Amino acid sequence: MAYTLRGRLESRVAAALAPLVIAFALALALDAWWPVELGVLMLGVGLALDAVYYRLVPYQPGWAAIPLGLLELGIVMSLARALEIEAPQAGALGFFAGSWLLAQALGHAVFPLARLSYGEDGGELGRTGPGAAAAALVVLAAAGGVAWATQPPIVRLPAGVHQGPLVLDFSQQLIGEPGAVVRGGIVVRADDVTIRNVTVIGGNHGIQVDLAEDVLIEDVNVLGAYLDGINVRRSEVTIRDCSVSMVGNEFGQGIDISFTADLEPSLVEDCFLTGGQEGIFLDSVHAMAVDNHVRRTTLRGITVTEMAMATVEGNTVEDGVGIGILCSDYSMCDIRENSISGIRPDHESSDSMREGYGIVSHYYAHTEVDDNDVSRTRHEMGAFSDAYITSH
Amino acid sequence: MARTCAIVGGGLAGLCAHATLRKGGLEPAEIAVFGTDPDPAAVWRVRSAAIRQRRMRSESEGHCAPSSFPGLAVRAAIRGRSPAPLVESLFDRYHPTVGEFLHHVDELRAETGWDESFHAARIERVRAVDGGFEVGGHGVFPHVLLAPGHPGLAWPDGLEDDPRAVHAYEPHEFADTVEIVGAGMAAATEWLNALDAGASVISVRRREPERRPLNLPRVLFSRRGLAGFHRTSSAERVAVLERFGAPSYPAGRSWDEPVEAARRAGRFQVAPELNGAPQVVCATGFEQGFGHDPLLARLVAEHDLETAGGWIVLTPDSTVGPLTDETRTLALAGVPAQWAFPAADTLMGAKYGARRFARKVAAWRTR
Repeated sequence: MAYTLRGRLESRVAAALAPLVIAFALALALDAWWPVELGVLMLGVGLALDAVYYRLVPYQPGWAAIPLGLLELGIVMSLARALEIEAPQAGALGFFAGSWLLAQALGHAVFPLARLSYGEDGGELGRTGPGAAAAALVVLAAAGGVAWATQPPIVRLPAGVHQGPLVLDFSQQLIGEPGAVVRGGIVVRADDVTIRNVTVIGGNHGIQVDLAEDVLIEDVNVLGAYLDGINVRRSEVTIRDCSVSMVGNEFGQGIDISFTADLEPSLVEDCFLTGGQEGIFLDSVHAMAVDNHVRRTTLRGITVTEMAMATVEGNTVEDGVGIGILCSDYSMCDIRENSISGIRPDHESSDSMREGYGIVSHYYAHTEVDDNDVSRTRHEMGAFSDAYITSH
Repeated sequence: MARTCAIVGGGLAGLCAHATLRKGGLEPAEIAVFGTDPDPAAVWRVRSAAIRQRRMRSESEGHCAPSSFPGLAVRAAIRGRSPAPLVESLFDRYHPTVGEFLHHVDELRAETGWDESFHAARIERVRAVDGGFEVGGHGVFPHVLLAPGHPGLAWPDGLEDDPRAVHAYEPHEFADTVEIVGAGMAAATEWLNALDAGASVISVRRREPERRPLNLPRVLFSRRGLAGFHRTSSAERVAVLERFGAPSYPAGRSWDEPVEAARRAGRFQVAPELNGAPQVVCATGFEQGFGHDPLLARLVAEHDLETAGGWIVLTPDSTVGPLTDETRTLALAGVPAQWAFPAADTLMGAKYGARRFARKVAAWRTR
């Protein structure tokens, strides 16, 4: 077909109507907004490309829909990733494929049946075209309205000291204004909670997350906790851009995530952890520890243990005692591109693993290592008690 | 039931218009079709048989049904239980056989109640009157579509009465040596027919034909190309139509290989002039211009309609502007409608005129 520009745009919008409605319904059913975000992204990419196609493709034979569809798929998926749209890959591909097939069926069969001159009008839909655009806007407005209305409430924490512990037992965003401090800790007991821009001082745990999913902890400072800086149990969290000081704490961990193996993976990223027994402790979890900086721990820098599956990548571990990174107890670890330095022998221990190792694989653990840099440490790596290390 | 529409011309363009009006909700009794043969493919059937045409130049959408979907490729795929026609159609390589096309015409004729609307009459005069148009003594109709078809076969100067000459669109066999005049689709088909029959062929032509899949570039079948075409001045449009009237036929090995093989064997040559062969096949198409059609020539003369070159000046929706308003419509379809749609002599062109005519009628009915 030789589309006009208006024909391309009208056909595109009309074909997107049903997918947008389905995306809206899916979003409500799944309580997740990725279908709507993906639908809007697909429509936006399609409309932008239509302007390009119009100039480059004066006549579009039927077969061209396939390579053009693949091109759009590639762009949509790349943008979805760049924009951090949290769509499962299979779901996103299925949604795109279904929408594409529907568009083909509409363009080749339904539109020509509904409007006899569809082909010779270059894909234009007459009065239906603006109507379809208006309907699409209504769907998007409705989706946006519901999304806005169902967003967790934002609780702004003013500058100053607030006595804790704060217990967050419903979905919300706790946003601290500059200078906001919570003394005595924060406890999260609800799904879909965000904590951002807050300094937490003291508390049994600085931040404690229990039985909660979809929790985001971002731009927080934690210091002076009695046990762990951030303690996560049976929960799914993303912890990003945090600072946890455990200096002077003999037994606590900077971040302890445990018993989440049956949940979505958790992520610890770009955090600065100082002191304590261990910087990051991952026990029976699926998790990633990426680009963190761990210093001056007294037992291990980063620990993955008890049948955990974890990626430990791009971290800096330095000036600790005994072990830099440990993978233990039937865990499977992918340890790559970390920088480990200055791990000193633990002279108070008779355990041979603690003679100053950069990386240790222990007790049936399977550790894959690649491109780690270990320096100023007595042993680069070692495997103990039927564990093994695979090097790429 | 009042007859609101008249279709003057009982050929394929008339069938397209009838089917489109029926799709728009008109009953057969509301439509009067005037023609000389109740079979809408009667003339076309003879001509395609004369040139031994096996496949259509048009593609899946080259049919007479009001909607482009389902096209002939879909129908063939369903009938043959094979996806091959659909795949070929994706690549614009599906050309229905003449048999498939004629079968479709027969089906559509039955489905739409064509025979109920058909009146055997040769219309020689259409005249604007109060409330519509008086159609050759058969009554006054508010909406009339003229689809008279090609006015007649075109003969090269001096050959019309030459006993050696036969027109490609008339039944004929081939002599041992045959001169084929012309360079379009019919001529190319006749080269292959004559070679198949064992004849030696001299292609008489003064210029090389263009090679393109359809009669016109594809963009000119849609608004994308038509918008620019409709913006042209009168003189420019005449030039465009004359340029696109030059002969062409599709590219492809099925056309080139037999000719090349015959050329190597000394059985095919090109010549600028006739040179005394025992048989001359005139693949020179049809007479061009409204002046060759008595009905149209009289219409123009009686209503002082604007013309340019051999064409009646039409609005982009294929109507005769001075004779069309909210209460009545005079439209053209088929070859005389090229002023509105340069490929009007194709099936797509017939539907272009039919759809716009039906839109006018629908607007009138709902007013």
